[in-house]
Amino acid sequence: MTINMILEQIVFYAAAVTIVFAGIMVIGSRNPVRGALFLVLAFVASAILWILLEAEFLALALIFVYVGAVMTLFLFVVMMLDINLEPMKTRFVRYLPLGLLVMALVLVLVIFAVAPQHFGTAKYAVPQHASASYSNVKELGSVLYTTYMYPFELASVLLLVAIIAAISLALPSSRKRRLQRPGEQVQVKREDRLRMVKMQAEKKILPSRKWLKKR
Amino acid sequence: MSETIRTLSLIMVCAPLLGSILAGLFSKILGRKGSHRATIGLMLVSLGCAIAIWILVIFHGGSYVGTIYVWGLSGRYHFDIGFMIDNLTAWLMIVVTFVSTLVHIYSIGYMADDDGYTRFFCYMSLFTFAMLMLITANNFLQLYFGWEGVGLVSYLLIGFWYQKETAVFGSLKAFLVNRVGDFGFIIGIAAVLTYFNTIDYQTVFANAQRLFDANTTISVFPGTHWSVLTVICITLFIGAMGKSAQMPLHVWLPESMEGPTPISALIHAATMVTAGIFMLARMSPLFELSQTALTLVLVIGATGALFTGMVGVVQHDIKRVIAYSTLSQLGYMTAACGASAFAAGIFHLMTHACFKALLFLAAGSVITAMHHEQDLRKMGGLYKYMPITYITFLVGALALSAIPPFAGFYSKDAIIEAVHNSTIPGHTYSYYCVLFGSFVTALYIFRAFFLAFHGKERIPADTKKHLRESPWVMWVPLIALAIPSTVIGALLAYPLLYKANSLFGNSIFVLPKYDVLKGMAANYHGWFSYALHAFITWPFWFAVSGIFTAWFCCWYMPNIREVITRRIAWFYYILVKKYGFDDFNQIVFAHGGRRLGQFFYYVTDAKFIDDYLVNGSGRAIQWGARMVRRIQSGYLYHYAFAMIIGLLVFLGWLEITDTHIGLFKLLTSNYFTVE
Amino acid sequence: MISLSSYLILGAVLFGLSIAGIVLNRRNIITLLMCVELMLLAVNTNFIAFAHYLNDIAGEVFVFFILTVAAAETAIGLAIIVLVYRNRNTIDVAALDSLKG
Repeated sequence: MTINMILEQIVFYAAAVTIVFAGIMVIGSRNPVRGALFLVLAFVASAILWILLEAEFLALALIFVYVGAVMTLFLFVVMMLDINLEPMKTRFVRYLPLGLLVMALVLVLVIFAVAPQHFGTAKYAVPQHASASYSNVKELGSVLYTTYMYPFELASVLLLVAIIAAISLALPSSRKRRLQRPGEQVQVKREDRLRMVKMQAEKKILPSRKWLKKR
Repeated sequence: MSETIRTLSLIMVCAPLLGSILAGLFSKILGRKGSHRATIGLMLVSLGCAIAIWILVIFHGGSYVGTIYVWGLSGRYHFDIGFMIDNLTAWLMIVVTFVSTLVHIYSIGYMADDDGYTRFFCYMSLFTFAMLMLITANNFLQLYFGWEGVGLVSYLLIGFWYQKETAVFGSLKAFLVNRVGDFGFIIGIAAVLTYFNTIDYQTVFANAQRLFDANTTISVFPGTHWSVLTVICITLFIGAMGKSAQMPLHVWLPESMEGPTPISALIHAATMVTAGIFMLARMSPLFELSQTALTLVLVIGATGALFTGMVGVVQHDIKRVIAYSTLSQLGYMTAACGASAFAAGIFHLMTHACFKALLFLAAGSVITAMHHEQDLRKMGGLYKYMPITYITFLVGALALSAIPPFAGFYSKDAIIEAVHNSTIPGHTYSYYCVLFGSFVTALYIFRAFFLAFHGKERIPADTKKHLRESPWVMWVPLIALAIPSTVIGALLAYPLLYKANSLFGNSIFVLPKYDVLKGMAANYHGWFSYALHAFITWPFWFAVSGIFTAWFCCWYMPNIREVITRRIAWFYYILVKKYGFDDFNQIVFAHGGRRLGQFFYYVTDAKFIDDYLVNGSGRAIQWGARMVRRIQSGYLYHYAFAMIIGLLVFLGWLEITDTHIGLFKLLTSNYFTVE
Repeated sequence: MISLSSYLILGAVLFGLSIAGIVLNRRNIITLLMCVELMLLAVNTNFIAFAHYLNDIAGEVFVFFILTVAAAETAIGLAIIVLVYRNRNTIDVAALDSLKG
């Protein structure tokens, strides 16, 4: 076993442990800001793994797109909204057994499926490292712009739609918002809605004969 | 000649049908008089044809057997309408058309004030048509058609006064009880069709011996093996039991007296109820081959002959007395058939048709004169007011009591003697039944006779003012019936019963070993000596003692009846209750049926089908919808959780079914060893 | 020597964690969205691992598209959250039950 291999393993396990730890913290942290930051950590560690898997372009895209854009968006939203954090803990404890049970079931089932004797090195040998001249970007681009041209175009359209949709959703419309305020509604008084007017009774006004004749 | 017979038969059968259609559908145009003229005219045509056929058949040896019209074809079976005109049919058609014509005429007087006048004539002609179809049939299906036709008209006529509750009840009872018999009858016909592959009389009779020799058996109930012929005969006899009112299906006949009296005479005494006897005679080639069936017929007939007659002794309604008398006489006829003396049975049928129609019409005459009062306790001393009715009733009563030389004597004595000489199992019991029955017969009919015509007048005063002899349309038929009631016995006894080549020809089949009439023929030396001989026989003295008892109890010392009834109160009670047949039927079949119906209605239908199945399915859907609605909570995490559950299920299913991954391998092998 | 199954197991663990997060989290839509992101990350890792070990670039192309879709989804999801908050004054998951049938 070469030193490279040992190094690789160290990197893998360190990243894996980081990801799992960050994941636990994402679902466990009370403060969504902290959760978002741990998610960033998970993304970064994943990017390291992806580089280990020689997917440099995607690793960088993950960091640029997710860490740089999406997670920033998350943080913006989290900070923009005023969230009450109080009663979270009790519910968390209450649903913990169920969550763990579901997680255990999924884990057991999936790990049986992907156990070493199905996907171990004996079945799927570790591929040779790519040469120094290998360019992941070039490789990806060469199929993306040829074989996957149409899906690629569609993805761009999808992004456009997403941009428009997100803006149109979040943009405060010019119309008055129809927001219910139940608290105010139940406190309303008669004087607020009803105005009593005193007026004299009048004679019934019939249409004049002339007017009728005209018809 | 057979072509002539065919044409005459067609006219004879269709004329009453035409009359019925005219009276039924065109009564508005024809009016009352037109209706009865049309039906009676066509009945006379029918009677004329019947006489012509009778002459051709009896004196010129003619016959006709053939198909007129193919009604239906089904595979290898064909259902025909055809005629079988032989000696038996010839005699029967004379009886039917003769009595029917007289009753038609009589009804002009009897029904004069009735609203349903034309309807009545329509039904009577329709009945005659159905009855003629029955007796002229050459196959079982046509027999069944006539059988059901007369049953239908009987139902319609018993319930003729449909506003009278008892009449409706009686008609319903007659219909339902006959249904039981007809069910057996149709099963018998079905069995015939199954085992003979045809319903044609001649083919069936020709093959009966072969079926008997083959000893074919049938398993009616699991584990039993009965001779097919016996089963066929017994099921057919069940039909006859219904139609001819044999025990225990006799309960409808007394109730049928709710109908107009001419109907009681025509249908419930002379013709329809004897259809069963005719059928037995017609099926003699089958019955002769089954001793079991003959025994059953004999025993049931003899039992009915005695016991139903005894009930007649305690009845107060004049028509009921005669109705029980009819039951008793039908028992005699059936017993005769059971003793293989089919000829005697048919002969008694003919004489009975005359004297019983006479009795009924005479009773009807009394009833109209009494303003529809039928209770014997409100009569008495009528002989002064209605002499013709009195004489004719007396003739009928003497004929019924088998006093020589009246018609009933020759036929009834022949039956008693035939039962006596029979070798069929049960003949001893049957002999004593029919012998003692002759006493009972004389007792009840003369009881009615003395109560109605003699003794103290117990007539209400206002009725008495109008009491007079009936109009000529009513007494002419009485006389027309009284004459044959007197003479046909003496005239026909020898040619029909004892002559070597009797006038029934070969239409009745009797095995030599059962042929009792042949043995009796040796002792027959003319009608007069036979009548004289009667004075030293038991039946005669039984009958005379019956008459004497009736005279003693009802005329000479009327008060003794009270004493006797008190002395043997339990026996009197049994007779009044008619052996409990009616109560039994009421409790077991009527109430039981209603209970069963209620059970099915409340439990099966209302509870099970309506509640559990119909409403239950609705409720189940409602319940399911409520459950499903609860799942639809609106919370995102519930939906997400459902997706996760689905994912788990798919994953699990995939891993269980996939042999490569094989979750079950985990249990069988050391899974985690890495190769 | 890192086997393919090591990556897959890591992906499975990450996936399981995010499912547990969805089940546990009844408070906050934003955390729910983050769990979905985590789930997508697990899937992406699987794809890239397969692409590497099977030497097939298609896996990476898939990840490319998934990233695109995920970005779009996050953008719209957050916009909806902003809208929900603006209308209901809360992003408590337990308070959003308008879908109730």
